[in-house]
Amino acid sequence: MNDEQKSWRLGGHEFSSRLILGTGKFSDAATMIKAIEASGTELVTVALRRFNREKPGDDLCAPLAKLKNIRLMPNTSGAMNAKEAVRAAQLGRELSGSPFVKVEIHPNPHHLMPDAIETYLAAKELAADGFIVLPYIPADPVLAKKLEDAGCAAVMPLGSAIGSGGGLSTADMIRLIIRDSNIPVIVDAGLRAPSEAARAMEMGCAAVLVNSAIAAAGDPVAMARAFALGVETGYAARQAGLMPKSDMAVTTSPLTSFLR
Amino acid sequence: MFLTVNGEKHEHSGDGTVAALLTELGATPDHTALTVNGELVFSRHWKTFKFNDGDTVEILTFVGGG
Amino acid sequence: MKTLPDWLNPEPWLNRTFSASEVRQALSAEAPDETTLAALLSPAAADFLEPMAARAQALTRRHFGRTIQLYVPLYLSSYCSGGCAYCGFAADRRTDRHALTFESAAKELDAIHAMGFEEVLLLTGERSSQADLDYLRECVRLAAHRFHNVTIEVFPMAEEEYRSLAEAGCTGVTLYQETYHPGTYDLMHRWGPKKDFFRRLEAPAQALAGGMRFAGIGALLGLADPRYDMLALYRHARYLQKTFWQAGLALSFPRIRNEEGGFIPPHPVDEKMLAQIIFAFRICLPDVPLALSTREGAAFRDGMAGLGINKMSIASKTTVGGYGGEGSKEGQFDISDARSLDEFCAMLRTKRLEPVFKNWDGVYRLTA
Repeated sequence: MNDEQKSWRLGGHEFSSRLILGTGKFSDAATMIKAIEASGTELVTVALRRFNREKPGDDLCAPLAKLKNIRLMPNTSGAMNAKEAVRAAQLGRELSGSPFVKVEIHPNPHHLMPDAIETYLAAKELAADGFIVLPYIPADPVLAKKLEDAGCAAVMPLGSAIGSGGGLSTADMIRLIIRDSNIPVIVDAGLRAPSEAARAMEMGCAAVLVNSAIAAAGDPVAMARAFALGVETGYAARQAGLMPKSDMAVTTSPLTSFLR
Repeated sequence: MFLTVNGEKHEHSGDGTVAALLTELGATPDHTALTVNGELVFSRHWKTFKFNDGDTVEILTFVGGG
Repeated sequence: MKTLPDWLNPEPWLNRTFSASEVRQALSAEAPDETTLAALLSPAAADFLEPMAARAQALTRRHFGRTIQLYVPLYLSSYCSGGCAYCGFAADRRTDRHALTFESAAKELDAIHAMGFEEVLLLTGERSSQADLDYLRECVRLAAHRFHNVTIEVFPMAEEEYRSLAEAGCTGVTLYQETYHPGTYDLMHRWGPKKDFFRRLEAPAQALAGGMRFAGIGALLGLADPRYDMLALYRHARYLQKTFWQAGLALSFPRIRNEEGGFIPPHPVDEKMLAQIIFAFRICLPDVPLALSTREGAAFRDGMAGLGINKMSIASKTTVGGYGGEGSKEGQFDISDARSLDEFCAMLRTKRLEPVFKNWDGVYRLTA
């Protein structure tokens, strides 16, 4: 397999890494930067917050600016509805100069499940405004097609609840999404182990987005590398073609004896 | 003049430009986005923009997020 | 001759050979694709008809239960300017031409409804002054007053024309490409508007864009290499599924039958090959309705019911009219299964299959 086949396109931009990293929950910026480097990612998500005079060290712009070949994808976390998400996206684009936006709207602060309706409304408006829109969504095949029709560059169904480490509990739905999607499908949220990232890639996902599983690992930098390997392994396995499970039915009385 | 900056009362003693306020707060202009009274003020307009007394200002920057 | 677009072209899968173990793997593929279908259509898979049938039956039951959906065709008109080499209604065939008046169409529809059908398929030849869009729209309206599901198998149209029929109560379109092989298509369609391969190819998409809920597609088996046509049919189906994701799709597997012109199919498909094709499609498209018409004989149809096939016509006439009043003398092709509806339903029940006359209700449909 050559590099050209390995790369993939997202909103007209080419990427070779199929691992997207979140930058939240790291103990410090230096660890985060090392993890990003170890992961080989080319796309990282960031969040917008009020500037804090007391903690100027929270500002990620300076450390991220030092990384080469990294594109930023601001998210809309904190937005409670479509209107707020559109505003957040505009601020994110102003600040990052990047057309990528991860639309995430989760009004319930406990389980953080995405609001499908508000996410759809925001995604549609932002896509029309020229953003490269990646909505974080429930693993819903109908919603996924509606978002594709609305002009999204990819859909990002959840594997399980954000930060839960529940893995690919939505695997059946994600398979249905992949089956009929014309845009990349990226599993976002819920992964815990690199083997789960590999499984998502084996199922046919274009990429995975990982944050907590790396940031909250014993050694985040080593885990970032492990996820990179997991994604690579799963993608290579997908390209190679998995051996099917054997469930050859054995019939007691012949079904085809009527054929002449 | 008095402004509400990120939800807190702030007395601005400069000339009312974006640059003056950011310097006063210790924020880096390149790493900052701004809304005034709920409206986004694009950085390309910062040179000509002036705050008015009583404005509500939000200064935003990137932090870690997934 | 133009070539097929990339999304349709079956060539990359056509000349692969498959071993028995590759067929065995395809039989239980988790996410079937073109390669799976190519393996199951391959000569090697001919030795696996029994396990293919078992898998097809299991998938048919899982997705459709123990049911067979019934439909019946009504030929409205045999006028045709087309030059299809294989068709009894072609313009150069000596045949009496008929078109139902609205009055007789209503009578036919009443008779079909009285038989118990809730779904009807209206057919014409190529566009003619006797059977044009206005004529068709009126017939659709007459049918929509009586049936929940009114579908048409007529000439290709533009999106706006389909929309006007959808607004008149038409819910679906059946349109077979006949063959996806452009060279063969050109030979078989000797003149007339049907010579335009790509216009026909685009028509199901036009229909779905125009507001139709269902599209039926297929290829007429016997015209070209069946593996070529079936791989292209699969790709066409997947394209429509991905693009018009709210539409219902159905596939049919018509085989060329003898008709009066004595056309001899250059690539005859025997019963075993036809069964292999149907099993392969059920395995690769587990949730898409697969239909079998009365072109096929009773023994084959009885065997295939529930074995991949979940949709069948019965009590069909291929003459113009013939249900309520006297039909025309000559039909488009000969019926091979001439059983009555009652006989057919009795047969289904012995196989513990339930005949379903109505699968969709127009009660929520908002018509202009």
